[in-house]
Amino acid sequence: MTTEVTPTSVAPKRNFNFLFALTLVGLLLLLCIVLSIATPSFATGNNISNLLRQGSMIAILAIGQTFVIITAGIDLSVGAVVGFSTVVVAGLLQAGVPIPIAILITLAVGLAIGCFHAFGIVKMGLPPFIITLATLTSLRGIGLLITNGSTINITNEAFTLFSRESFLGVPNLFWMVVIVAIPAFVFLHLSKWGRYLYAVGSNPEAARLSGVSVPKMIFIAYGLSSMFAAFVGVMLAARLGVGNATQGDGWELQAIASTVIGGTSLFGAIGSVHGPLIGAFILATIANGANLLNVNSFWQRIITGVLIIVIVFFDQLRRRNR
Amino acid sequence: MRSGSPDASSNADAQPILELRELEKRYGFIQALKPASLAFRRGEIHAIVGENGAGKSTLIKLLTGVIRRTGGKIVWNGAEVELATPNEAIAHGINAVHQEVVLCRHLSVAANIFLGDEAVKFGLLQKREMTRAAQKILDDMGFNLPADILLGDLTIGQQQLVATARASLRGTKFIIFDEPTAYLTRSEAAQLFALIRRLKDEGVTIVYISHRMEEVFELADRVSVLRDGTLVGTRNISDTNDAELVALMINRSLEQIYHKEAIPLGKVLLETRNLSGKGFNNVSLTVRAGEIVGLYGLIGAGRSEFALSVFGRNPKTAGDIVWQGNVVDMRNERTAIDLGIALAPESRRDQGLNLNLPIGLNINLPVYDQINSGIVVNAGEEKRRADQQIKDLGIKTPSRNSLASSMSGGNQQKIVIGKWLNHGAELFIFDEPTVGVDVGTKAEIYRLFAKLLKNGAGIILISSYLPEVYELADTLHVFRDGHLVGSQAYREKTHEDILAEAIGV
Ligand SMILES: Nc1ncnc2c1ncn2[C@@H]1O[C@H](COP(=O)(O)OP(=O)(O)OP(=O)(O)O)[C@@H](O)[C@H]1O
Ligand SMILES: [Mg+2]
Repeated sequence: MTTEVTPTSVAPKRNFNFLFALTLVGLLLLLCIVLSIATPSFATGNNISNLLRQGSMIAILAIGQTFVIITAGIDLSVGAVVGFSTVVVAGLLQAGVPIPIAILITLAVGLAIGCFHAFGIVKMGLPPFIITLATLTSLRGIGLLITNGSTINITNEAFTLFSRESFLGVPNLFWMVVIVAIPAFVFLHLSKWGRYLYAVGSNPEAARLSGVSVPKMIFIAYGLSSMFAAFVGVMLAARLGVGNATQGDGWELQAIASTVIGGTSLFGAIGSVHGPLIGAFILATIANGANLLNVNSFWQRIITGVLIIVIVFFDQLRRRNR
Repeated sequence: MRSGSPDASSNADAQPILELRELEKRYGFIQALKPASLAFRRGEIHAIVGENGAGKSTLIKLLTGVIRRTGGKIVWNGAEVELATPNEAIAHGINAVHQEVVLCRHLSVAANIFLGDEAVKFGLLQKREMTRAAQKILDDMGFNLPADILLGDLTIGQQQLVATARASLRGTKFIIFDEPTAYLTRSEAAQLFALIRRLKDEGVTIVYISHRMEEVFELADRVSVLRDGTLVGTRNISDTNDAELVALMINRSLEQIYHKEAIPLGKVLLETRNLSGKGFNNVSLTVRAGEIVGLYGLIGAGRSEFALSVFGRNPKTAGDIVWQGNVVDMRNERTAIDLGIALAPESRRDQGLNLNLPIGLNINLPVYDQINSGIVVNAGEEKRRADQQIKDLGIKTPSRNSLASSMSGGNQQKIVIGKWLNHGAELFIFDEPTVGVDVGTKAEIYRLFAKLLKNGAGIILISSYLPEVYELADTLHVFRDGHLVGSQAYREKTHEDILAEAIGV
């Protein structure tokens, strides 16, 4: 007579998502508190600024990645696009192109790469994994060819200074996250385009028969993802003062990890803008704390892996709620 | 022991094969099945009827271990059982053909039939043997289906038959059909009924869920009625009638299901001239404002393909589509929608719904172009429109934020329809709009049709359910093998004549 009675403290769905976001924020705060106690060098202005700078770049990549993953796709090329974009922007600056023009051209190059991905998916019928994997390897090759394998030093002081300065006490690079995240939030959560993106990820045929242009949404998602990556390339070039095609190695995986930790489903149609943002800063905090505590960097990778499994597992549990 | 009583011939016969005691299922706050007690007799055909969302599929899923009960007991052959997993149910001999086919589209028919107990020799799958065995099973059951083709290449109805074949094997003692005829052609349904009767003769107990009363009266020995998750009664089929069951189901009486008003016909909205495309050839017909044009035929006769081409989903290969006097190039769905055409497609799962998204988003998907304030969606309007359809169609849901996948089959169908009622159109194409929809709601939907017609719209009604198109269509066209083979004005011909045209005898 052991009829199982499952606890039924089930609240409406929205609260759940809210709870999940809250849990992530809680996790982030907990990490910060533990680290502040564990090491005096964590809670210093300098270190926090540094953490924000590092986290910013992955955060922006993660937002773009989220758009793609919501359509049930994946973008493996973002790390390579970051590296390539540092080369493009550095080359342009060294050729004497004014800063705003150089940035715009770099963003346009990023957009073009994303459109190429969408073209491969929509017109050639290639799986997203394949076409972006192809870009991942070949784009680094192209970057290395252009630079002959060397590094371009950026001598434009105004450009590199930007990345080190702060506004209202917050590093400029973090402001870039705000500048990207707010329109991204409006796009995904408030505009019709966001609704369409979810619909495409959930069932492209039903979306199509409801009048949604599926190819257009694929172009938008991949275009934005690559453009965001190009933007991150500009940020990174400014931070390091160089253009080098090998930069941003493995960042695509960090971006995907942040996205997944932030509650995005790799099957598509589930995800948000704020989740991946928090996810990115959780990862950045772990990396930062591990450095300060002198934890072997190999451990960081292991911790990240475990974290992905634990968080996604709990997320799945919560969704299943049968 | 009541050995003296006439109907209890032996003790084993008197003991129910399966008994539910206060069985209950809750999904969070939703009580999908309130404590229900019911005994199934050995070898009977027991029908279960009820409105959409009444809890029929929930009951079936509980008995087959697909979901776990939140209370009560299940007694199988006198012993209490857990039924915690599908495998446990199968091990007892309890099988089901579910409302939505849950098989692998990318495997062959044979592989699907044997999925889970493949014939293995030296660790290798004996593909040829398996195919041969499966073919024999299908032939024995009288299903005219090849065992070696991919399941995904079959129609939904044929897939349902494969699921039936699968469930009828493996020493089954208890088999449940959840709306099995919804997607079957008439002859397929006849094959299924023959199989069900044969299973009954072999002593198998059968539970049969359907919204079609005539099937219930044709097949069942007893019938139980569910309303809002409550088991409201069980009757011997000989002691009851249509009206009583419907009254039990919806708790009111329903004088008339088919609602037809005399509505004057207006201008010609759509004309197809010798239109051909994938799956249909040389179809010419017109639809006027205020008119219901019915397309009847067997499943696979090309009606849905015709509709998809008119809607711009599939390209035409020849002929013309004329919209309000102008030849138009239906390049894509958007073109059709912008002209004023709406299509509620045939398969809610594959074409109609974004299952893992909220109901509200599904209902508003076609109208997001129209409900913006600036660059953002007007949230108030979005809510209002979703709630409006939920109310008008009586969609049973706690909120517009619930996922479409948590709705019962019939309620999902209502979302597909609501989506296009919300958008509005001059020509509505409804492809099997009432599949899986209960009688009460059917009547509501037909009433809504009349309202659309009075507002000057035209309707193309595709249905494989003859009474429906027969009673509603002003003009009824019959399709066979992709051709338009006959037409009639309202009630001009008999059911038999139309059926003969559709089958081609
Ligand atoms: N996974 C789920 N989560 C929450 N509610 C659910 C879930 N599945 C079913 N329900 C709810 O349980 C109720 C009963 O659903 P069920 O599928 O049993 O209805 P049904 O009688 O089979 O209806 P239909 O005739 O439309 O198939 C419905 O209100 C439905 O919304
Ligand atoms: Mg059901």
